[in-house]
Amino acid sequence: MNLVVNGDAESGPGGSAEPVTEVVGWEVREGAPALVPYALGGGYPGPADPGPAARGSRFFSGGSSLRTVLVQDIALPERGRTGRRAVDAGQVRYTLAGWLGGYAGQEDGARLSVEFRDARGTPVALSVLGPVTAAERSSRTALVERTATAAVPPGARSARVLLVLTRAGGTSNDGYADALSLTLATGGLA
Amino acid sequence: MTRLDRRGLLKAAGAAGALGAVWPLAAGLSPARAREAAEALGADYDPAPFTLGVASGDPGPGSVLLWTRLAPEPLAAEQELPEVVEVEWTVAADRELRRTVAHGTTTASATLGHSVHVPVSGLHPGTRYWYAFRALGRRSRVGRTRTAPVGRVSSVRFAAANCQAFHDGFYAAHRGIAREDVDFVVHLGDYVYEHGRVGGVPADHVRDHEGPAAFTVADYRRRHALYKGDRSLREAHAAHPWFLTWDDHEVVNDYSGTAGAAPFVRRRAAAYQAWYENMPHRDAGGAALALPDPEIHRVRRWGDLLELTVLDLRSHRSAQNLPDGTILGAAQKAWLKRTVDRAPDSWHVWANSIMLSQLRGRPGGPYMFTDQWDGFLAERKEVLGHVHRSGMEDLVVVTGDWHSAFVDDIRPDFDDVSSPVIGTEFTAHSVTSGAYSADWNARNGPVMGAANPHLTYFEGNRYGYDVYHVTPERFSAHMRVVADRRDPASPVTTLTTFHVDRGRAGSYEDPATRNSPAQYRRD
Repeated sequence: MNLVVNGDAESGPGGSAEPVTEVVGWEVREGAPALVPYALGGGYPGPADPGPAARGSRFFSGGSSLRTVLVQDIALPERGRTGRRAVDAGQVRYTLAGWLGGYAGQEDGARLSVEFRDARGTPVALSVLGPVTAAERSSRTALVERTATAAVPPGARSARVLLVLTRAGGTSNDGYADALSLTLATGGLA
Repeated sequence: MTRLDRRGLLKAAGAAGALGAVWPLAAGLSPARAREAAEALGADYDPAPFTLGVASGDPGPGSVLLWTRLAPEPLAAEQELPEVVEVEWTVAADRELRRTVAHGTTTASATLGHSVHVPVSGLHPGTRYWYAFRALGRRSRVGRTRTAPVGRVSSVRFAAANCQAFHDGFYAAHRGIAREDVDFVVHLGDYVYEHGRVGGVPADHVRDHEGPAAFTVADYRRRHALYKGDRSLREAHAAHPWFLTWDDHEVVNDYSGTAGAAPFVRRRAAAYQAWYENMPHRDAGGAALALPDPEIHRVRRWGDLLELTVLDLRSHRSAQNLPDGTILGAAQKAWLKRTVDRAPDSWHVWANSIMLSQLRGRPGGPYMFTDQWDGFLAERKEVLGHVHRSGMEDLVVVTGDWHSAFVDDIRPDFDDVSSPVIGTEFTAHSVTSGAYSADWNARNGPVMGAANPHLTYFEGNRYGYDVYHVTPERFSAHMRVVADRRDPASPVTTLTTFHVDRGRAGSYEDPATRNSPAQYRRD
């Protein structure tokens, strides 16, 4: 189960290149993102550009801000196969995944990260994805899949997901992101 | 495996005509061989897995942050350790750890470089403690720390260090700090340098970086591990709790944290992550973001005597020399102004990585470096004007970056000599990072003095750190200097001392040291 709410940008306000101030499931900490339709055109990623196979209708972009930051706090499940008992026994792994990209040869980008915290809020694990550089996109407008997998350390109780969209120049923040997910699975420590 | 020896390495290097070329990893050495090479040329490490030592930081009235990092092969990109390691920690009232006052277990994850950060609470204010870690059947060295006091405080002593380029010298200054009777240490940045090898060992440099410039988390981890290969740095960490800010070289020279190009954003995140992993930094939690964007600005109190405001002049800054440029960022600036508004009746010390005072290179000439606050004129005027209007007194700014010692009067408008003095800035010598030549200093000291009426003192021929002794009546800055930065055990002496009297803006030099060498002194 994907623990990230609205990681696909499909819910709530948006639907154009205009920045929005509220995003379902996320706290807008800096800047203002746009939830852009793939059908918009105008140089934005379209249905035929590289990106997730099941891409839905919209993706995240950075709007027009120099830096747009979205935050989502996730309480880890208390019970079940990936609940606290399993976490504390070292039996749970996480996978952070996202499609991250930008526009043509520009270096605007999207960075996705997750920080796991213990009950006191101290960081106990971290994975950072991206940003994807223009070279990694072959200077093509595209979203590229990035994933990271690691053990959930015993004692972890929550996770904070950050999506940071940055503008390298110009007026449009063309850091793009879609299909963001955080999943837990049993499997234990490597 | 044949053990590398110092003589053999030096001989081989000499034969090759390039000593720097055999410095660790240069010839594709394995991590173990690289460590051997590093050790043969003077680096050393604590016993594994606690090779990088222990540290404490951010002391509060009832708490302190404990740090270590498991790195059996400190120069390896990846440690041959389980993905998650359980680590025990103990805090005691005695150095033998017999009278335990707190203990627990935590985890060290490979995703955070097997670093350990334990915020210990429930301690007594103003109390000395000892601590250690245990993992993988081994115990770390014992560290010593102290909590902040509450209520009436009659004296506090602290040291300030900055700019410790590994290749430019050994850390005799940190050896001195470890032996100082101080309550805490403030590090003002340039803890590591990101660039590649400099060469010229041993004629021009005592040692060298382990490889090319750092870009990835693995690169920065290795760089931090190399620097902690100087035992004096580990001793200073183990001896006192530290407060931390950073400057540019923890990432890359003269960077602006808000630059948005993907390669830089990735590099900055890697550097910040490795910095966190290797520092006794207390995560800000609460409203702060999260790693890899740690929030490092904060305000702390040492009883009723001192308020310490730690500034972050890198993460949120814009480009230099913009009409609306910012060195603090909007949120930190608002926070700083609120801190000023709420300031208690005490000494106010700002830990400031890069020079606040104006510095022209010649009378009427341009600013020497606009990477410092001189590149953010409107914001400096706004902040210092706010300090002045608030009526806050007893402001002392402690600064690094310049690799030379300066003492400045702080004025809201540095170009207006009738503008009131509202504080004093002490810019400390660097631990090792190279300064200008003695000739340059002798020639330019008087020129800078003439160009900057607020400049009181300049000395650029030495290396060291500052020790500040603060009482309700007086703030004294003792400039400690090492005799020779090429000597790991160089003796430390006090070059001179400046005082600031409580309730009276401006500094004065202690009459006993007014005849000490300097390249400018305002009479």
